[in-house]
Amino acid sequence: MCDQPVTNTKEVKWQKVLYKRQPFPDNYVDRRFLEELRKNIYARKYQYWAVVFESSVVIQQLCSVCVFVVIWWYMDEGLLAPHWLLATGLASSLIGYVLFDLIDGGEGRQKSGRTRWADLKSALVFITFTYGFSPVLKTLTESVSTDTIYAMSVFMLLGHLIFFDYGANAAIVSSTLSLNMAIFASVCLASRLPRSLHAFIMVTFAIQIFALWPMLQKKMKACTPRSYVGVTLLFAFSAFGGLLSISAVGAILFALLLVSISCLCPFYLIRLQLFKENIHGPWDEAEIKEDLSRFLS
Amino acid sequence: MACRGGGDHVKLPSPPLSSVNPGSFATCPTSFHNICMVSDFFYPNMGGVESHIYQLSQCLIQRGHKVIIVTHAYEDRKGIRYLTNGLKVYYLPLKVMYNQSTATTLFHSLPLLRYIFVRERVTVVHSHSSFSSLAHDALFHAKTMGLHTVFTDHSLFGFADVSSVLTNKLLTVSLCDTNHIICVSYTSKENTVLRAALNPEIVSVIPNAVDPTDFTPDPCKRHGSITIVVVSRLVYRKGIDLLCGIIPKLCQKYQNLNFIIGGEGPKRIILEEVREKYELHDRVRLLGALEHKDVRDVLVQGHIFLNTSLTEAFCMAIVEAASCGLQIVSTRVGGIPEVLPENLIVLCEPSVKSLCEGLEKTILQLNSGALPTPENIHNIVKTFYTWTNVAQRTEKVYELVLSEDVLSLNERLDRLISHCGSVTGHMFALLAVLNYLFLIFLRWIIPDSLIDIAVDATGPRGAWTHHYPHSEKRDDNEKVSETR
Repeated sequence: MCDQPVTNTKEVKWQKVLYKRQPFPDNYVDRRFLEELRKNIYARKYQYWAVVFESSVVIQQLCSVCVFVVIWWYMDEGLLAPHWLLATGLASSLIGYVLFDLIDGGEGRQKSGRTRWADLKSALVFITFTYGFSPVLKTLTESVSTDTIYAMSVFMLLGHLIFFDYGANAAIVSSTLSLNMAIFASVCLASRLPRSLHAFIMVTFAIQIFALWPMLQKKMKACTPRSYVGVTLLFAFSAFGGLLSISAVGAILFALLLVSISCLCPFYLIRLQLFKENIHGPWDEAEIKEDLSRFLS
Repeated sequence: MACRGGGDHVKLPSPPLSSVNPGSFATCPTSFHNICMVSDFFYPNMGGVESHIYQLSQCLIQRGHKVIIVTHAYEDRKGIRYLTNGLKVYYLPLKVMYNQSTATTLFHSLPLLRYIFVRERVTVVHSHSSFSSLAHDALFHAKTMGLHTVFTDHSLFGFADVSSVLTNKLLTVSLCDTNHIICVSYTSKENTVLRAALNPEIVSVIPNAVDPTDFTPDPCKRHGSITIVVVSRLVYRKGIDLLCGIIPKLCQKYQNLNFIIGGEGPKRIILEEVREKYELHDRVRLLGALEHKDVRDVLVQGHIFLNTSLTEAFCMAIVEAASCGLQIVSTRVGGIPEVLPENLIVLCEPSVKSLCEGLEKTILQLNSGALPTPENIHNIVKTFYTWTNVAQRTEKVYELVLSEDVLSLNERLDRLISHCGSVTGHMFALLAVLNYLFLIFLRWIIPDSLIDIAVDATGPRGAWTHHYPHSEKRDDNEKVSETR
């Protein structure tokens, strides 16, 4: 094998074939070894500000959670009248509903084929049921210790943030799970409020901020990116302000978190791209690029 | 293995090369070795690795070596079995975890394997397949015991997803102190060298082989119309989705075209759907699972063999088909371009369009009579890959390995720490030390000198060729099971 001296190596050129008996030892390493190796062929080049823009989805969701908790705190302390929150919530929902259709000129509605009557019906059904069940929600967790409720809410809100669909194509993403966790957290927190009307309004508000608001955001981001950036900034500042009125330390930490996510993380992402070593070669499993479903359906 | 079909439906194939007598070999081995093949995959399971181990062992036995095989128990097939020519197989009582691969704790198999290595006087431990945890366990223990180790990698692996990152790390650990590695194709060698960060000098390329006497052409079995044969497991990695696009496209274009598809798997359902939708029941035959001995009878019915694999280290199927005299159309993936010369194979990109073009070109050549006759193709292919050649080359690897020193525990720990990264390296160095202590403990409980030496069925003093009194042999077998 390798200890056999090969005399005629120079005349015969090594070929990358198996069917020929070649005058080379089996462990011969040719100059062509690994010549088909390719690195980072699918690596993407990122622009700093584009990444910052994309990070706004995360910022928005963090702010949503923050605003939700701040509002709950105000309600719990009795500083915020439930009627006022209901009125503001309903008004902003109506504005959002109109905007939702205005932004893309009614295209999305035509595509989905959903009528306004259907929207109204679902809204009514939801509000009636939540209102009817709010006394149950209020007493549901009475036997559970308040500390447990807080801990559970924290975990649920964290879960909401983890599983939320930020637009990444990953196995961990599940918008249903994420929404359910947020609603569960809101039910937990609502049950600690003084009256059942509070609980009803809190859950309605949770639906607005965790279910409806991200849908509007998504559309705004796709159609009017400029206004989306404005809205994100405004939302972030209001969340910061709200938190500041409760705890200065918390507000500063929150602001640091937002800044690091929107500015530092993109910077690191781009820096770390330099170290990327993605190896490709003939051993990779081939991908079927065509659409083969037409042969089946 | 990700897509291994478990298959106990297959019987043992006929003994290979029974007509070949050892004296006819060009070179005779200078010394004889005691080789232990280890893999989770062996008969009654069926596949490329299984037949590779079996055929290689048989050829090594014919060349005078002592060979034993160690695998895990398959249902009621447990204990010790003797196959053709006294090939002894240990079916160890280990728990199967996933796809016929055993669960591993890295330590629990040491007592059993040590016993086998000692009583069989093993000098070289040869593990097969990176998917087999038993193979890696055996390498680990053999190194602890100071035995020489060889590893054969039969498959390709990517680098992109999390599972391959983890498996590649484990492979790095397992192979960093293995004496020599064998790969089945040059592409496979490149892949393994990259995955396990190896020095390419310790990796040899020895292709698989096909017994040409099992795969002979028989043109009178062909029917008048053109038949395309596909024999593979019906799984995603074999590109069955592509096949579903090819069948309707070609059947609509050529009225005298038939398909025969052998094999079983989860993708069978979509083939049936396609057959249903395009009403091709009389033109597309789905044969289901094939026994290895029936493959040849299916192959000879066709004119063209189609392989749509998306990844393949060597692809025995196309060699078998070519040996039966079929023209091959295949995807250009993995090691396939290395396997057959250009005039015997049409290589296409892995897409329906490209494969259809390749098939149409071949059909055109077939109709015009431009293709070589099956007899000619067989005569060319039968010289390419033979098990005797594989055995000779593997034997050279054994000789090389035996001339090297096995790393001492010190050197082994150094290698692990310096080669596998600080965290993994230190972790596995610790495990290696624990394994060594465990071995010392076992040696204290039962010293090597108290372990019986097994009867050599094969090898230089092989009992197989002698006439043993029946009762005596059975006594010995009973003793074997008691001592275990």
